Amino acid sequence: MPVRRYDQPQSQGSALKYVGAEVTAVKSRKLVAGRGQYAGDIYLDGMLHVAFLRSPHAHARIRKIDTSEARAIPGVVHVLTAEEVNRDLGPLLYTIEPEGMGAKRAQLFALPPKKVRFVGEPVAVVAAHDKYTARKAADLIEVDYESLPAVVDCEAALEPGAELIEPEWSDNLLGSRDFRSGDPDRAFAEADGVVKGTVRTHRYLGTPIEPRAYVVNYDSFEGRLTFWASTQHPHQLRACLADTLGLPEASVRVIQADVGGAFGLKTPFYPDEALIAYLAYKLGRPIKWIEERAENFLAGGHAREERLHYEAAYRKDGSVTGLRVRIIADVGAQSTLQGCWMAYVTASCIPTVYKIPNCEIRLQVAVTNKCPWTAYRGFGKEAATFLMERLMDEVAAATGIDRAAVRLRNYIQPEDFPYHQVSGSILDSGNYPAAMTRLLKMLDYDRFESEREAARKQGRRIGIGIAHELMPEGCTLPSSLISGYDGCTIRVTPSGDIKVLTGVTSPGTGNETGIAQIVADTLGADLKRIFVVQGDTEICPFGLGNFSSRSILIGGAAAREAAVDIRAKMFKVASKMLEVMPADLDAEDGQIFVKDARSHAVSFADVTRAIYRESYGPHALDFEPGLEVTRYYRTPNVYHQPQLHPFGGFSAYPSWPYGLAGCVVEVDPETGAVKILRYCYVHDSGKIVNPLLAEGNLHGGFAQGIGGAMYENLAYDENGQLRTTTFYDYTIPTAVDLPHFEVEHQETLSPFNPLGCKGVGESGIGAPLSAICSAIENALPELKLQLRETPLTPNRVWGAIERARRAGNGKA
Amino acid sequence: MRVPIEVTVNGKAHRVEVDTRTVLADMIRDQLRLTGTHVGCGTGSCGACTVMLNGRTVKSCCILAPDVDGQEIMTIEGLADDPRHLHPIQEAFVVNHGLQCGYCTPGMVLSALQLLNENPHPAEAEIRRGIAGNLCRCTGYQFIVKSIEAAAAKMASKK
Repeated sequence: MPVRRYDQPQSQGSALKYVGAEVTAVKSRKLVAGRGQYAGDIYLDGMLHVAFLRSPHAHARIRKIDTSEARAIPGVVHVLTAEEVNRDLGPLLYTIEPEGMGAKRAQLFALPPKKVRFVGEPVAVVAAHDKYTARKAADLIEVDYESLPAVVDCEAALEPGAELIEPEWSDNLLGSRDFRSGDPDRAFAEADGVVKGTVRTHRYLGTPIEPRAYVVNYDSFEGRLTFWASTQHPHQLRACLADTLGLPEASVRVIQADVGGAFGLKTPFYPDEALIAYLAYKLGRPIKWIEERAENFLAGGHAREERLHYEAAYRKDGSVTGLRVRIIADVGAQSTLQGCWMAYVTASCIPTVYKIPNCEIRLQVAVTNKCPWTAYRGFGKEAATFLMERLMDEVAAATGIDRAAVRLRNYIQPEDFPYHQVSGSILDSGNYPAAMTRLLKMLDYDRFESEREAARKQGRRIGIGIAHELMPEGCTLPSSLISGYDGCTIRVTPSGDIKVLTGVTSPGTGNETGIAQIVADTLGADLKRIFVVQGDTEICPFGLGNFSSRSILIGGAAAREAAVDIRAKMFKVASKMLEVMPADLDAEDGQIFVKDARSHAVSFADVTRAIYRESYGPHALDFEPGLEVTRYYRTPNVYHQPQLHPFGGFSAYPSWPYGLAGCVVEVDPETGAVKILRYCYVHDSGKIVNPLLAEGNLHGGFAQGIGGAMYENLAYDENGQLRTTTFYDYTIPTAVDLPHFEVEHQETLSPFNPLGCKGVGESGIGAPLSAICSAIENALPELKLQLRETPLTPNRVWGAIERARRAGNGKA
Repeated sequence: MRVPIEVTVNGKAHRVEVDTRTVLADMIRDQLRLTGTHVGCGTGSCGACTVMLNGRTVKSCCILAPDVDGQEIMTIEGLADDPRHLHPIQEAFVVNHGLQCGYCTPGMVLSALQLLNENPHPAEAEIRRGIAGNLCRCTGYQFIVKSIEAAAAKMASKK
């Protein structure tokens, strides 16, 4: 197969000492003591506070805004409306240009000039001496709205004659995409049977415990804007702010403060970000804004809400031979956020880990009068997994073959990699059957049937479910600042200490610790002498921050490239000092030594002394002064030019980690309440740099996955009003809601990454949706439940049980 | 309207003037600049703003600052002010990776402190109940539970 593979570098680095070790996170000591510095912890002299007035209507024309009462309140400094801000600011910059994805563009402004398109859209902004005054003033702004019909259903949105949301468009279709392979018509004609139905994912969101927060300062004398942000993307945010404000990009500095969780939600470009920067620029005063929780629910960016209509052709032996899927995604109002592309990822991941030769996949992305989608961990992959896993369970039920056996029958086999899926995606590596075998052993799957019967005799209904998630990482889109490259600078100081500056950032997960581990091993350095700096556009090399689990996958690889160069130079100088060839040297714990004579050694400090203090001396004179390197790494296995793609396609993801979840639940058929008794997961993200941090990350993925599957729901009513705007009605899991997780790692190295890594960050969040459905169905086999929708609230589960009973299922 | 109040915070007496609308969390953060107390929801649901008021945990986003006049508060900063000498609970969180982004952590640590003060040998279910008022979005709670178990063992062995 003519796929370009990463050339595995030979002897480029010391033996692995830190990579693979459970090193505790470097920032923990400060954070656990309450000494973090989040954006909200920044205080500047003369700072003003901001409050937004947000639309109470899902869809309405703005006739008139009267700010006189708000302006009259003592302490109010400025009230900003569209009329003023749109005179000065250009349209908001897209970090992903819609045209690159074949989608439509809407010209969007920081404040909507004519009409509002969702409840929570900013309409006006108040700057005041304190936040209480700002809030009070915002509430006194009078807006005269002309209410318009709200479009709240994505399929109705696409009907001819539907109310138009974007006036320049002729319909509510943002974009579409079709994939096709083989001969689906023939596969269906020749099938032994067909299953069909609709799977729905409901709307939920990332909702980090730290809401969005920013502090901005504009120095008008120097002409420089400094923007402290709880963001994942300092460089993209800089580009957005500069472009929209009309400032030179190099005059804008974005500094990522400590980030209190992000999960995709803290990616630009929010109109709120443009507005507070504009106020600082305009007023010449520092501005602070910390989002309120209700604002996060209303306007912080949503995710999910897709309908997947499917039919699958199968043979009696359980093999699935044909698949037709029609996806309709409800991405809310068009925005400059990156969320709508999640729908494209859903389509491009189907049929996930299965070899289905004849596929027809159609995607339609609809805009509606709801909050825009923003990126959220899972990024559309969870919906593809949900569909394929429900489908496999359905084929198992239809053929009478065990659920695990049906999956084993349809898996892409280890020798098939790199495997080309219908969308053009090239899956890098994996061993699905081995992972399944491992999971079944963890679960003691073969014995479960007897356990279930024993429990049933005691009046307890328990069931087991499995699901296989595919979580591609390293997202790389054309015409965008979401790409598969990143930079790293390594500076070694005159005393031999190592500063690592990265273009990737940490949303609070600790990748700076992992990157330090990679650099330490590549150099043979003492981990304690390595200091990682991230998130400051003034200091760090250009880079794309944190998304799609790329910080180790791509940022770690960039750090390794830079460290390889530093090591080579240090070895050249050391070889002069030790009078041997560089190839005869190795390094460990900051000592460079002759491989065959370990005591014949110099320390890093000896070498840096020669480089910095004895530049004209015998050991350093032949080499360029200084010990600093910037390297960029670009991941292979991504194709934006079809003529280069081995199969003439398009492929946005280099790396394809996966995981298998198995859970045991207890269901109370009289109330629909579900309790997870066991949750097991076999995980394969290739090489794991830090098992402690990786496992912590996985636990968080399970929690969000289970939260989405069972508890969390953004509920809109028929008028487009959001009914869930606090943690009292949008219920993320607490410690008592979650089980103890059991995790095993399997490491199938990626051939496309110098470390064999695949990215861990999103794993775990996709499988719970189907695994829990599967377990509930299995707990009550006589009812033949077919759960295709989430969240699995007691009400929904009880309703499904009642419908099945009324249909006569389960009667002897 | 502003009113003067006197509070003892982390053992130190303060006299501050507060707007009567100010919640305790904002006074602690904005006026005393003890920013380890975080605000995650403002509705008393997430627990990031947990502090000790007269030795008991409270959610400081739901208490008005004037109401704590004459009372005693401990924030996370009061638990340790030297990175080399963290409280055993904090040390256990570091070692067991009981935190990721750290935003919920100060509240979580103080809830754990209250739990261990009342119940030095909690079972796993008791720990989970003890921190059920503190939301964490990063960890799935498992390593937090493990940290508190480890801290309990350490603190018991020191007695």
